[in-house]
Amino acid sequence: MTIGRVLIANRGEIAIRVTRACREAGIETVAVYSDADVDAPHVRAADRAVRIGAAAPSESYLNIPVIIEAAIGTGCDALHPGYGFLSERAAFAAACEEAGVIFIGPTADTIERMGSKVGARALMEQAGVPVVPGVTPADQSNAGLLAAVRSIGFPALVKASAGGGGKGMRTVDADAVAAEMIDGARRESMAAFGDGTLYVERLVRRPRHVEIQVFGDAHGRIVHLFERECSIQRRHQKVIEESPSPALTPRIRAEMGAAAVAAARAVNYRSAGTVEFLVDGAGDAAQFYFLEMNTRLQVEHPVTEAVAGVDLVRAQLAVAEGAPLPWTQESLTQRGHAIECRVYAEDPAAGFLPQAGRLLLYREPSGPGIRVDAGIVEGREVPVTYDPMLAKLTVHAETRAAAIDRAIVALRQYAVLGIRTNIAFLIRVLDHPSFRSGDLHTGFIDQHLDALTVRPEPSTALAGVAALAGTSSVRSTAHTAERVKPAADPWASIDSWGR
Amino acid sequence: MGVDRQLGALMPSTTLRIGDHEYRVDTIDGRVTVDGVEVEPPQRALAVADGDTRWVFFDGEVYEFEVQRTGRRRGTAHQGSLSAPMPATVRKINVAPGDAVNKGDTLLVLEAMKMELPIRAPSTGTVKTVSCTEGQLVQPGVVLVELE
Repeated sequence: MTIGRVLIANRGEIAIRVTRACREAGIETVAVYSDADVDAPHVRAADRAVRIGAAAPSESYLNIPVIIEAAIGTGCDALHPGYGFLSERAAFAAACEEAGVIFIGPTADTIERMGSKVGARALMEQAGVPVVPGVTPADQSNAGLLAAVRSIGFPALVKASAGGGGKGMRTVDADAVAAEMIDGARRESMAAFGDGTLYVERLVRRPRHVEIQVFGDAHGRIVHLFERECSIQRRHQKVIEESPSPALTPRIRAEMGAAAVAAARAVNYRSAGTVEFLVDGAGDAAQFYFLEMNTRLQVEHPVTEAVAGVDLVRAQLAVAEGAPLPWTQESLTQRGHAIECRVYAEDPAAGFLPQAGRLLLYREPSGPGIRVDAGIVEGREVPVTYDPMLAKLTVHAETRAAAIDRAIVALRQYAVLGIRTNIAFLIRVLDHPSFRSGDLHTGFIDQHLDALTVRPEPSTALAGVAALAGTSSVRSTAHTAERVKPAADPWASIDSWGR
Repeated sequence: MGVDRQLGALMPSTTLRIGDHEYRVDTIDGRVTVDGVEVEPPQRALAVADGDTRWVFFDGEVYEFEVQRTGRRRGTAHQGSLSAPMPATVRKINVAPGDAVNKGDTLLVLEAMKMELPIRAPSTGTVKTVSCTEGQLVQPGVVLVELE
């Protein structure tokens, strides 16, 4: 079976990433877009584009019938879901299968079985994969959930049973705030996944988040492509990912790889997937627990592509055509060190508040070992409707220390003006002595928050630059300055914003 | 729009502010002084103007200077009024006019970019007005709740 045309059911950087792989494979691409994305970079990247509805995700990027219709109407024989949106909806994969469109990912049955945290957990216990103590109470009322939290013990995590990506997740560390946290988790869960069922889990103190990339083909062969350390998170959203993990010994790495392959095998896994683990402790004594399986391509897949020297999206296309895996476990190696930094439109100094607005100036870094995946261009509005991630910077170097230096220098060249971003914050994380020494845990950002969010004083020379920006005497930026119309100032109220 | 050296020479001094710090910048014959001391603008700095905001990028840091204009102060919201910092949807309203609130109480919950943003009371007081409804899309700067 040969794929001739792929519909990419996503937007932003991942849609562009998939478009690029398709083009390299000689496959035509069809983009979809909402009213907020007319003329967006992902639309321009594709061979054709279809409007699928209004800006609200529920009316466009989450609308299964309209997307399936777009795929059929444009003669696509396959569909790539990207990450987020519909990528982990079993019903979407099933709808593709019914319509005779190849879903580039696992089967609907696999997604279904891994999609429910309860089911996945039971399955993993059966498969001999260690799990964290937790429960989905049958009584989903606040009282029922609170009882479950108390039985698990404080602190506990309350999170969307259907979810992923940190949406619909709250830490409950005292009775007093439990109701507010449970309500918030349920609302976010409902909004993000259309399902308000919540799961309660024991929170491991100072855990590391380490995940294993797995890949299966339609012939039952499954390999792992090593780990990604994703401990640097804020509000349960990953910020920096790297491979190899500075914490894993060869023995634990091998055990986690084997556990991940066993997990994937338990659901006949096909295509790219990720098995997430919590790691407690260090050295050969470290314990790891299955957290969940993400049945899709991950945001941070470039980290694995760099250290393993593979193209995961090309491999997804090949496997979707029925080809055997392009690698054997023995042929795969980890080489050098890769770090990915997620560039978010957010204000770290104001509680990581998401930002929206027009990109007045946007300059990406480039150079050896530097990769930027972005879905934005200068002059465009960053809409309020979607995820605040603007781009991903991935660097690859011989050693971890060299990769950190490379990432810092690249970020120092990454100019984004008009919207506040976390770029300076990323530099401070990478340059922090605890980060450099590899002392990572998921509470790293909270622990070092003050040091990571300082706002340095500008040198007086920069005041000179600022004054000149209003005239045309600052070279290379004057044209931008002239084009820009004064916009409504979203920060006018920042002083009265409770935080 | 060409501001050449001649016009540059006539450019009046500009006062810029970041936080509590003010900088007085003069441009004379293409030479720039800040608070009376000549400076050399760094080659790798980038800057854009957006209304009265001057965005400056240098070595990974971004600075937002505000141009200070005499006789025209930037309208700041009243002490007790709370508004959205960005376009957002009102997800939940917890208070009604006349309600007594304590500092830190969640008055309403906004949602933007798939994140919930709780708006908390900056001080203890009484709700004077609530000028939004659940489900409403609100713009930045528009007052949502007033306290007294």
